This record gives sequence, structure tokens and C-alpha cells, in this order.
Amino acid sequence: MATTALSPTTESYRRSWVLEWLTTVDHKKIGILYIVNSFFFFFAAGILALVVRSELAVPGLQFLDERTYNQAFTMHGTIMIFLFVVPVLSGFSNYIVPLQLGAPDMAFPRINALSFWFLPLGGILIFSGYLFGGAAAEGWTLYTPLSAGTYSKGVGTDLWLVGLLLVGTASILGSINFVATIFKMRAPGMTLFRMPILVWTVLVTQTLILLATPVLAAGMIALFIDRNYGGSFFDPNAGGNPILWQHLFWFFGHPEVYIVILPAMGVVSEILPVFTRRPLFGYRAFVFATVAIGLLSFSVWAHHMFTTGQVYLPFFSFMTALIAVPTGVKFFNWMATLWRGSITFATPMLFALGFLSMFLIGGISGMVLSSPPIDFHLQDTYFVVAHLHYVFFGGSVFGVFAATYYWFPKMFGRRLNEGLGKIHFWLHFIGFNLAFFPMHILGLDGMPRRIADYSPDAGWTMWNLVSTAGAFMIAVSILPFLWNVAATFINGEPVGDDPWEGNTLEWATSSPPPPHNFDRLPPIRSERPVFDLRHRHDAERLAAEEATAHAVVEGGPS
Amino acid sequence: MSRLAAPLRHPALRRARLPVLLIAAIGLLAGCGMIPPEPDTTQAKEVFNLYIAVLVMGAIVFAGVEGFILYSIARYRRRDDRLPTQVHGNNTVEVIWTAIPTVIVMILFVLSMITLSSIDARAANPGVTVEVDAFQWQWTFHYLDGDGNPDNDVSITGTPANPPVMGLPVGEPVHLILRSSDVIHAFFVPHFLVKRDVVPVPEGRAPNDLEFTITAAGTYAGQCAEFCGDLHSRMTFSVQAMSRADYDKWYAAVQSGKPPTPSVAPGGTTVKLTAADISFDVKQLTVPAGQPFHIQLTNKDSLPHNVGIYQGDKELFRGDPVNGVGTIIYDVPALPVGDYTFICDYHPLPAMTGTLTVK
Repeated sequence: MATTALSPTTESYRRSWVLEWLTTVDHKKIGILYIVNSFFFFFAAGILALVVRSELAVPGLQFLDERTYNQAFTMHGTIMIFLFVVPVLSGFSNYIVPLQLGAPDMAFPRINALSFWFLPLGGILIFSGYLFGGAAAEGWTLYTPLSAGTYSKGVGTDLWLVGLLLVGTASILGSINFVATIFKMRAPGMTLFRMPILVWTVLVTQTLILLATPVLAAGMIALFIDRNYGGSFFDPNAGGNPILWQHLFWFFGHPEVYIVILPAMGVVSEILPVFTRRPLFGYRAFVFATVAIGLLSFSVWAHHMFTTGQVYLPFFSFMTALIAVPTGVKFFNWMATLWRGSITFATPMLFALGFLSMFLIGGISGMVLSSPPIDFHLQDTYFVVAHLHYVFFGGSVFGVFAATYYWFPKMFGRRLNEGLGKIHFWLHFIGFNLAFFPMHILGLDGMPRRIADYSPDAGWTMWNLVSTAGAFMIAVSILPFLWNVAATFINGEPVGDDPWEGNTLEWATSSPPPPHNFDRLPPIRSERPVFDLRHRHDAERLAAEEATAHAVVEGGPS
Repeated sequence: MSRLAAPLRHPALRRARLPVLLIAAIGLLAGCGMIPPEPDTTQAKEVFNLYIAVLVMGAIVFAGVEGFILYSIARYRRRDDRLPTQVHGNNTVEVIWTAIPTVIVMILFVLSMITLSSIDARAANPGVTVEVDAFQWQWTFHYLDGDGNPDNDVSITGTPANPPVMGLPVGEPVHLILRSSDVIHAFFVPHFLVKRDVVPVPEGRAPNDLEFTITAAGTYAGQCAEFCGDLHSRMTFSVQAMSRADYDKWYAAVQSGKPPTPSVAPGGTTVKLTAADISFDVKQLTVPAGQPFHIQLTNKDSLPHNVGIYQGDKELFRGDPVNGVGTIIYDVPALPVGDYTFICDYHPLPAMTGTLTVK
């Protein structure tokens, strides 16, 4: 019997690095591709946000005409949601989830590559409207009949639909891959209730994507038929119903909100225990709360449609308010994790704490909007814009930066500079609140969203100016971040495999991990296998200390 | 007792006092802006009170949670290498803090439903009924006087440059029927704390409606709140609320001021112009100088179009609108030699702007 060499020589696989990155099926490289691609779209959509804010800074149309303005906010919303927040979190999930499960790769590596490569293609299609007579300009929600052929003739809207269909297909493929990976690729000992909390949130998120995205895809195909082949799904003059689009869009669109917030909650729930040196309080309750949010998210879509006069208000109002219960449970668990911890404030922790405070505001304003009489006043005003930015930006994007600072050393073996990271955080945090908090006030005062201009007599000038200043401050805060990434690549110090003293399996392998992820795995007996390994000799001592601590509290002077 | 007070004496907390005070001050300042405009209908007053109740609940939740977080991170910063106690959870507290948000949610829901049923009530005999027709990008307010003859009803159509005024009496229920002839719009008056989408519905389906009783005379700004295309931001209007006596005078004045249908003088040059898909078919018209001429405008859209003639910003002629498909012939007075701009006042876009050359 002939012997076969088990370790192939590197020579036989030598390829140019370009070809390597273009054809890779390694989940880690694909994850990095996702993240880099998403950040490109983040910067593009961020520039559009600055364009919008510049136009609104003072009354009068200074830079743009109405059509161009409408294109700018439509593209800003579309790109930020579909090509930044969702894919960047998918990118981190792609990189981290197999590592946290102790798996060598995703279940379907080639499908993984395919679902990534649809994204830049879809994004370019959506943007290419600018080259063919103007991009879509109907808002990222593309309400019918405004988006029907009669009222928006440009090919930009068709490109938007086709591009988003590609992005949606990518999401559906990716979600099947994640669900299969989580159920079938776990290392021995990694039971469902020993999975890191990030994996749980990704599991629920990807299930939501799998159930919700096909509904949007069907709606977009119906709209494409209406626009190009004489269909009348949404045409009231031919027996269709324009409100049907809103149902289809928000049946996807509301779970979408949880699709972008749940993984960010997962990231924060990974970071808080590491930087407080305590386990996540109420792990199981947290898992149940995540599943409950996922289930409830399918029964609240029509709270975006209270003012249409065509939905049953008590049901949707009640279900919407009910989401506060599992979300509240999560907050209490995070607070209890901080309580009596041993807390350090590295940049990932700062962004995680920023997430807690900002998402809290977004959650409370969401409760305000769940009340139909109040929503009648606030719907489609800047209050809603403020609310959604506190959730998407204050929530998800703070989570994204927390994840970036936290896992950068795992991905590249070097830690981002802490000083620059803190400058980034504080500029970002202050700029964010300057930009978006005044929008609550503008909305309460009656400023509708999506207007290119407003009257100088309306009394909205001062807060708009403040908001624009804040937007530019956020843009400035990105500069130390970019400088930090570049400087760390050039002369960052290697920091070893586990610089934060992490809890989960990704910290049990080298940084960056080898192509097959693990040479050996520690025993998995809890949701914190690496913590258990690090403190395996402390178990008895800890138990003793805990007993003493209780004795001191009980019997000590009061 | 001293156990409660002890943490406040902690040096970390003393250091944190200034930032905490600063944050509290900013929060208070921001909170003061979080109030809607003064409510000026009976329905708006109820919404206002509900909002204040919800705002107070929200502020308490925010202060509690944020205070806890700030306290924890100041009090429990890492001081040594000892591992803190490893608490994995506690079922009793989990149950308690599932119950807390549940109770808050129930209170919010019940309060909302009480207010909702109150503001959704409809009067048997509203004082005034106005049919609001929204179109890209303005409004027509059509007063239904109930005499069965639509020809003598008052109808006011605005343009982006001259938004319409809706006169309404104070102290009587006002009923609005909201119709759209194209895309979805929304009727929104911030001081009334209400908006409702104006949805194009299929034939035979009831359109949305809205009812309110204004409590104070005054002029209230309003505008379209649902994004409706290019000139969405210019779909403004105002509501002028007045006493019943003033309202009757206002109504009579508007009714009598209705311009008669212009008769066309014979002879003279006629130039033709067609409006379709919110654009003019020709962008250049030429007429002889020093004599009156006619413009025949054919409207193929379901929207109002007209022709206005301008020299710079100066209005020289404004034609009445053709509301929906139809044709009108305008008599335009003589103009001196020169280049003028003609434009649809309802859709001041490049596609509905052209040059009128007089030579």
C-alpha cells in the first residue's frame, strides 16, 4: 500500500494573492471580504448622508435640486441598510461563528463565496442608476404607486429592484448556510446551550432572513412586472392595491430591523463578559429573549402603516409594545453582568457601552411610536428618522465598531491602537448625539422627513444646523479610525493569540487562525471553554473565595 | 442605612460627580425640547396628554437604566487581578424583570387605546365637510355644501408658489375626506397633532377621513408628510381657523370671487401646448409683438396644469388650471418684444418650463 503525504507542500497551492482572494472559499477570507466591501459602501452612503445634511443645514436649496436630493437620501438609506449594516454583520458572523463552534469552515464553502460575490455586483447595479438618467428617488421603502411606471419612469428604479434582488438572493443563500453550519458543524461537546451568545443571535437572525427575504423578493418581482410588463399588482386604477406593497415590504422590513440589531446584541453580549470578567448574567433567559424577539418580529410589520387607515391598530400596537418585554429582559441581563464586575474600558468595551446607552434611547422612542395616537403625530416626521438612527446607528453600527476593535487582533494578529480608538469613540459618540438627538425635537415640532427644503419661518433652522454639524463630526471621527487601521497594518505589534482574555473558542487558536482553524480544541463544558481552560486551577479557590465573600457581607459591619 | 450611603462616598464616584452632573444637565436641556407644539384641537389635547404620560414613563426608564449603567461602570472598575464572583443568573430576578416591562407595556397599551377610541369618534353632523384632493404636488380643498349641486361649491387649488388656505370654523367638528388622484400623500397639521395618509383607492372603496374640532383661532401651517416625488417639500398649505361669523364671510368672499370662465376674443395668433406626464411637449413658443394672442393648453394628465408667463420673477400672466384631462384657451394680453419664461405654476420643474419669444 502506497503512503500518501498528509501535509501538502505550500508550493503546490501557490497562486497570486489576487487570484487567491477572488477564488477563496475560506470562511475567514470571505468574512474579511464582506467586511471590507461593506465598509466601502458605508463610506459611499456616508458621503450621501453628508450631502443630505449639507442641503438641510439652512433653509433654501443651496447645492441640489429636489430630484437630486431625493436620489441622495434614497441611495443613502438603501446602501446603508442593504449593503452596509446587514452584510458587515454577516461578515463578522462569517468569520467568527465557525471559530466559535470549533468548526473548520462553513457547511457550504462555495455557496458562501457565491453569496458574497452577489453583493458588490448588486451594489454596483443599484448605484449604476446614476449613469443611466438618475438613480432611484422614491425613498428606500420604494412605496407604490410612486415607484410604479407612471410616476417614476427612470431606469434607475429598475436597476434598484434588480440589484436588490441579487442582494436578497445572497442573503437567502447565506442564511441557509449559517443555519446548516450551526446545526451540523458544532465541535464535540458544543451543545446548543453551550453555544456562545453571538451564535444564538446569528441563528435567530439567519432564520429571520430565511423567512422574510423571500417575501420582499416576491414583492420586488411583482413591482418589476408592474413597471415593465403591464402588471397591476399595485395599481389602484386596475384593481390593484398600492398598500399591498407596504405589507410585503414591511413584512420583510420589520424583521429586517431585528436582523441588524440581534447580531449587534450578540457582539455586545460577547464583549461585556470579557471586559467585566464575569459570565453573561442569565444566559438561558437571554437565549429565550432572542428567540422571542425573532418570533414577535413577524407580527409587528403594520406599525409602519398606522396612518394608512388600512390596518387593525390594537393588534399591531399591542404586539409592538410587547417586544419591549424580551428587550427589557436583555437590558436587565446586561446591567446585572456589569454589576459587581471587574470592568476595564478598552475601545471594544467603550463601543459596547455606547451601544447600551444609544440603543436604550432608540428602544424608548420605539415604545413612544407604538402608541397609535402618538404615531399619528410623529409618523413620517424627523422623530422617526431619529428613532431609526438610534437603533441602526446607535445600536447596530456601534456594535459593528465594537466587533471591529474586538476581533481585529484575531483576524490580523495585531491590536488597533487604543489611544486612536478612544479618540474615534468619543468623536463618534458626541457627533452621533449631536446629529440625531435634535431630530427628535424637529419631528415633534412637525418637520416631515424626506423634504429637500423647509421654510425659514418654520423654526427648524437651529436644530438642523446642529444636526449637520454632528454629521460632519461623525465623518471626522472616521479619520482616526482609518489612520488606526493603516498604522496597525504597517507597524502594529503582534499581541499573541488571546489579547483580551476571551471566553470563546476563537481565542483558543492562533491569530490569525490557520486555514483549518484549529490544531486542537480545549474541552467544551460550558459556554466559556477558553475561560474554563484559563482558570481550570482556580475552580476550587473561587468556590472558597465566594463562600468567604458571602460570610463577609453577612457578618460584616453594616 | 450606612450600607446604602457607603458607595456614594467611594472615591471613583466622587471623581465621576462632575461628568454625571454634566450629563444630567444636558439630558434635562434636551428633555425640555421633547414637547410637541401646543395642541389646538380637542383631539390634539388628548394626544398631547397621552404623549406627556408616555414621555414621563420613558424618562423614568431612561434615567433608571442609564443611571444604573453609569453607577456600575464607575463603581466596579477593575482594581486588581482578583476574579469577581462568577454569578450565572438567578431565576427569581429574571421573573421579576420580565414582569416590570410587561406592566409598563400594559399601561401604555391601555392608555393608547382609550385615547384612540376617543379621537377616532365621528360627529353625526360635522359643521363643515371638506374634500381634500391631493395631487403631485399640491392640494385642492373642495367644500361640500350639501346642496347636491357641485358647480357652486367652493374649491381652492394651490400651487407650490401660492399654497392654498383652508378656512375653517372654530368650535365645530370638521370632517375631511382625503382623496388622491395619483400617489400616496399625507395630510399633516403639526398643531393638530395628527396626520392621515391620502391614498388612491380603487373605485368603490371608502377613502380615509379625519375629524377634529379646532379650539383656537389662528393660522396653522400644514404640509404633505408622505414622500410623493420631486416637489414633495413644496406641498404646503395652511389652515385658517376663525369664528363661525368670520368663516361665513370668508366663504362668501371666496365663493363670489370665483373667476368667470374666460371668453375667447376672436382673431389673433393661437399657439398650442400639450402637457403630458408632467412635461410640456414644446419648450419654445413664438408669438408676434404688440398684439394679444391665445395659448391653447391641452392637459393629458389627471393633474392640474396651467401656463404662467414670467419675466424674471415678475408674473405677467397666470392662466387658470385645467384640472384633469381637458383643453383651455387663454387670452394673453399683448407683450413687448423680448424673451419670456412660460411655466406650469403647479409643476415648476425644468420639464414644464419653456421660453416664449415675442418678436
